[in-house]
Amino acid sequence: MHHANHFYGHAHVLAAYCGLDPADPPRIHGFLQHGWNVLDGLGPETPYLPGLPIFVWSQRTRRRAWSMGRRQATVVGAPYLYLLSLRPAAGPPERSGTIWYPFHGWERQSVAGDHQRLIDEAVATEPGPITFCLYWQEYHNPRIRAAYERAGRVICHGYRGKRWQDTDRQFLHQQLTELRRHRRVASNRLSSAVLYGAVTGCEPAVYGDPMQLNGEDRRLAAWIRRQWPELHGTDPDPVDASASAAAELGADGMVGPDELRALLGWRRPAPTPAIASRA
Amino acid sequence: MTTEVALIGGEMPAWSDRQHPQRPPAGSAALVPLVDAVARQLPDGGEALVAGPHADVLLDVLAAHAPTTCLVRAEADAATVAARGVRVLCGTLPKLQETGRYDLVVALDGMGRLCSVEGPQYDWSESLRALHRTLRPGGRLLIAVENDLGVHRLVDLGTPTSPQGDEQWLPIGEYDETKPGSPDRLGAHLSAEGWSLAWLGAAWARPGQPALIAEPEALRAGPAAALAATAARAAGTAYAGHPVLSDPRRLAAAAVRAGLGVEFAAAWLVVAHRGDPSAHPPSATRPPVPPVLLADGPVLALTRDERGTWHRSVLDRGTPTAGRDPARLDGPLPNGRLLEELLIAAAVRYDARAVRALLSRWAAWVGTLPDAARAYATVDNVLLDGDTPALLDPSWRSPEPVATSSAVAAAMRRFADTLMAGGYAHPWPAVTDVETLTAVLTGAAGMRCDRPVPEPQGPLKPVSQRETEEQIRSLRQQLADTRDQLLWHERQLTKREQELARARRTIAMFDGSLGYRAAKLGAAALRTTRKAWRRSRR
Repeated sequence: MHHANHFYGHAHVLAAYCGLDPADPPRIHGFLQHGWNVLDGLGPETPYLPGLPIFVWSQRTRRRAWSMGRRQATVVGAPYLYLLSLRPAAGPPERSGTIWYPFHGWERQSVAGDHQRLIDEAVATEPGPITFCLYWQEYHNPRIRAAYERAGRVICHGYRGKRWQDTDRQFLHQQLTELRRHRRVASNRLSSAVLYGAVTGCEPAVYGDPMQLNGEDRRLAAWIRRQWPELHGTDPDPVDASASAAAELGADGMVGPDELRALLGWRRPAPTPAIASRA
Repeated sequence: MTTEVALIGGEMPAWSDRQHPQRPPAGSAALVPLVDAVARQLPDGGEALVAGPHADVLLDVLAAHAPTTCLVRAEADAATVAARGVRVLCGTLPKLQETGRYDLVVALDGMGRLCSVEGPQYDWSESLRALHRTLRPGGRLLIAVENDLGVHRLVDLGTPTSPQGDEQWLPIGEYDETKPGSPDRLGAHLSAEGWSLAWLGAAWARPGQPALIAEPEALRAGPAAALAATAARAAGTAYAGHPVLSDPRRLAAAAVRAGLGVEFAAAWLVVAHRGDPSAHPPSATRPPVPPVLLADGPVLALTRDERGTWHRSVLDRGTPTAGRDPARLDGPLPNGRLLEELLIAAAVRYDARAVRALLSRWAAWVGTLPDAARAYATVDNVLLDGDTPALLDPSWRSPEPVATSSAVAAAMRRFADTLMAGGYAHPWPAVTDVETLTAVLTGAAGMRCDRPVPEPQGPLKPVSQRETEEQIRSLRQQLADTRDQLLWHERQLTKREQELARARRTIAMFDGSLGYRAAKLGAAALRTTRKAWRRSRR
């Protein structure tokens, strides 16, 4: 439906999970939550179409969406969890260092903050080598990238795509591979990446200047810290943090392949519209 | 053998209560064992009076035990009853003179059809006194008292105080203040009037035609799930295809589950003795009826043994039905909660995980059933005792073996229909057609459903206004949503058409223009020159 469904190769992962061609996922009948957020599961500027499902990650998001008037929110869990089930870990993990995700802006909202101060704090805090994973915008900014390269290895998982064009459908795969290599995952904001890391066996940490999105209400970051204290700090308890992350990603809301195919509108042939029979 | 009809006065010549389209005479298969049990307690030579219109089967049961007299107000009914060889009095109750004659009075049609249009119009209490007078000391009474707040009233589109039919010449409804409105008040009233209560049963789902008769203790502490399902089924059958305010199945199940099976019953059935209670201790006079009687085709008795286990036994196999063997109903009654209720409880919590767990467990179990029993393992016929499923009614077998996948898909089709028609909240709110919901539920049960599942062939359901209202609301919403979606698709189409137009302009520019042709010629000349240069270097 919306091109955000294909961001990060989410639709592709779900197609693979449903036994369909991951290179050519069918159109999803609805809106797939493409990143962790504290709203109704949609991106801030996603033009929602009434009557269509928002496939949200967790019950908490479903309840929030309902309270915002979104009646069709349906819990399916994060696509990342489906990828985890498709790619179980091969053997005992050999992990080292930290993968650090600086809070990023996006195409229409840049982030304001002092990258160098953030780097310094990360270097001072992290016990081992750091891999900085930049969003593609920062990655392609030579000045920002150079600052991070002076402090560690710098990577980018890929381009999330736009209007079904140039989607790096290996995005999540690359992220999973990287997360499995690291002992810790850290960021200056609670984000999808930290949650992914926490359920992939990394010890999560959220600390440092949360920075600010252009036009963003600063109270939001503080609200998030109050709501999920178990995921914040330089050394949160990994067990509690992992359980909390699993809940946010909707680990208990994951759907079986046949049920998911029906929900996403991927059954063949497509059902004929009908109303509930009454007699 | 036809007997003579005694006209006592006030009889109605052009009338029949037995031919009433909406309100047949009192009588149902579940009432037969009750009447039989009470009649068996009659003393030798004792006589019975049946007051009001009653079904032939009840008259026959009584007549088999004792000389029976029937009091009806309509002459046509009197003639019909007389044709069965029963003594008949035809007229209005206030004209009844037979004081102290009978040992048993049966009035299972209530007191509402005893007075004709002629003469005094007795209220409930006066009617009871008139019947009281006809009994010998120690004589017994078996009556039905309609509950004005029974489920049958709550779902009724009409009300007795808005008269419609010819028989409603005095439409006082719940404003007959002499009629007790609760079992407690009924007991108190009888006691005050010189009766001693021997037995009370709650009757579901229609006052005169109960399919379930249960003692209060059984409803309070008995097999709640089985009783709730039975009450719901009785209500569904009683109102099949009838327009109602809200689905009586839902109300019946909720009432019985909540321990309010007596309070919301359609009627209370009472056996009482005329005279001093101390002379008739209930233990000695209680009719030998099982705690629960139910009639769903066969007539069944539910009884509890000393260890507290409930047993089901077939009292009457009923009319033979293809595919049904009532003998399978004999034995211990399965325990536990109805799977459908557990599923709905999980669905309204949006707990898809719990729904999946229940359905997967159930689907695996369906596979272990005999081929011919699978089709009947629908979620409204399965009890789950902890983790152990059992068929509530195991008497049915299909003529052809049914594959597990077909049985599961068909049962999910039926449950999808229940969820949608009932307007229940569920974890898949964007699914608005039964077919997709069937596929989702079948998937949740761990199976695939790619083909449409035909609508289940079952009895008609009640046509509920509340559910209809909910469907209209939902359809309006869907229509509004669809309109918005159409506009969105149009905008998308416009965007794509603009993109296409731009692409076509680009193609045209490079494909047909002079400049493009010149560039193509230049490129060809360049290629030729380069090849010539390469050849010259070899």
